[in-house]
Amino acid sequence: MSTIAYTPTAPASVPPAAARFLAGREAQWCDYAACGAAPRFRATPACLVPLEGWADTVAGLKAHHGFDLLVDHTAVDYPDRAPRFTVVAVLENTTTHDVLVLKTRVAEGAAVPSLTPLYRSADWAERETYDMFGIPFTGHPDLTRIYMPEDYDGWPLRRDFPMEGHLKFRD
Amino acid sequence: MADSTTTDLVSATGSAEGGFLLSTLQSMANWCRKNSVWPLPLGLSCCGIEFMATAASRYDMSRFGMEVARFSPRQADLLLVAGTLTYKMAAVMTRLYDQMAEPKWVIAMGACASSGGMFRSYPVVQGIDEFIPVDFYIPGCPPRPDAVLNCLLQLQKKIERDRSYRMALKAPEDAPLALGGLVAVDGRGEMAPPALAHSDARWVEGTKPRAGVEKGPEPVRQR
Repeated sequence: MSTIAYTPTAPASVPPAAARFLAGREAQWCDYAACGAAPRFRATPACLVPLEGWADTVAGLKAHHGFDLLVDHTAVDYPDRAPRFTVVAVLENTTTHDVLVLKTRVAEGAAVPSLTPLYRSADWAERETYDMFGIPFTGHPDLTRIYMPEDYDGWPLRRDFPMEGHLKFRD
Repeated sequence: MADSTTTDLVSATGSAEGGFLLSTLQSMANWCRKNSVWPLPLGLSCCGIEFMATAASRYDMSRFGMEVARFSPRQADLLLVAGTLTYKMAAVMTRLYDQMAEPKWVIAMGACASSGGMFRSYPVVQGIDEFIPVDFYIPGCPPRPDAVLNCLLQLQKKIERDRSYRMALKAPEDAPLALGGLVAVDGRGEMAPPALAHSDARWVEGTKPRAGVEKGPEPVRQR
């Protein structure tokens, strides 16, 4: 598996104020050129921030840097990495249309601060992430499964989950 | 009334008033039922669109007395599961089925409802017969309206052959619940058929044959 190279230097497309704010939060920026990504995938700046203060970082971007829209929120499972999951949030500044991808790494069973108090759109997205990956979000108002039945056993989008399910009802 | 397809209908035209008809309660009830099958379409995906085409003017399901699609299970006779059923939706479907009054029939329309179709995947039910008994399976992805109409005509034939009135009102104590098809569960409804005692008495066709079902005892004939 090719890994993404990270650099502390923010890409030029990031607003300088936001870049300075994130630099104070130990942000590591994805170096798309170094990992050989196609040019059309290099446009959106993405940065990795520590799990501590995840909600504070997003709150600061929303309050002081105009990132007032949570476009997407999901997670990725890398079973061979030490903190197994990567939680991803895509923010947009609806005035300048700057888009920023924020990522943080989470170990299995560790809780992530919820973004729902900041963005209403995080509500169902975090429920989906919880439903598919089993990542709990602290501070979420109603953290229940959203796609699967409530009594479902397992986290379907984890890599070790069988694609056909548990075959519970089958012959 | 003068339906030529109704079996057991004997006409006597002796008197000047125009005569009278002799029949059995069973054939009368079957004749009424088969010509007024009100479907509850559970349209879950593209098969639901194809069912709409079947009901619309070009194919016109109402020619067979089935145009009254009811979206209340209390008023429906036929549960037509059209589309991909997920496990989360399966609870809704079984609830709808339980709320339907007897007698009731079920059609699995299309590959997804019959077997999961191309979705061999964790959220998709691999055939609705994991949850409820099915009378007919319609192949196709989705089936053409012709196939749906053909299935509905087959369903009419089956209803016409329904022999539940002739069965013993009370099943033998040790009779198996079902042979070759529908399980008649006690207390499901006033008109639930008695336990099927013999494979001759099966009133459900098109069900998947079950391996290892023993042949039941001879049916108890009662007058």
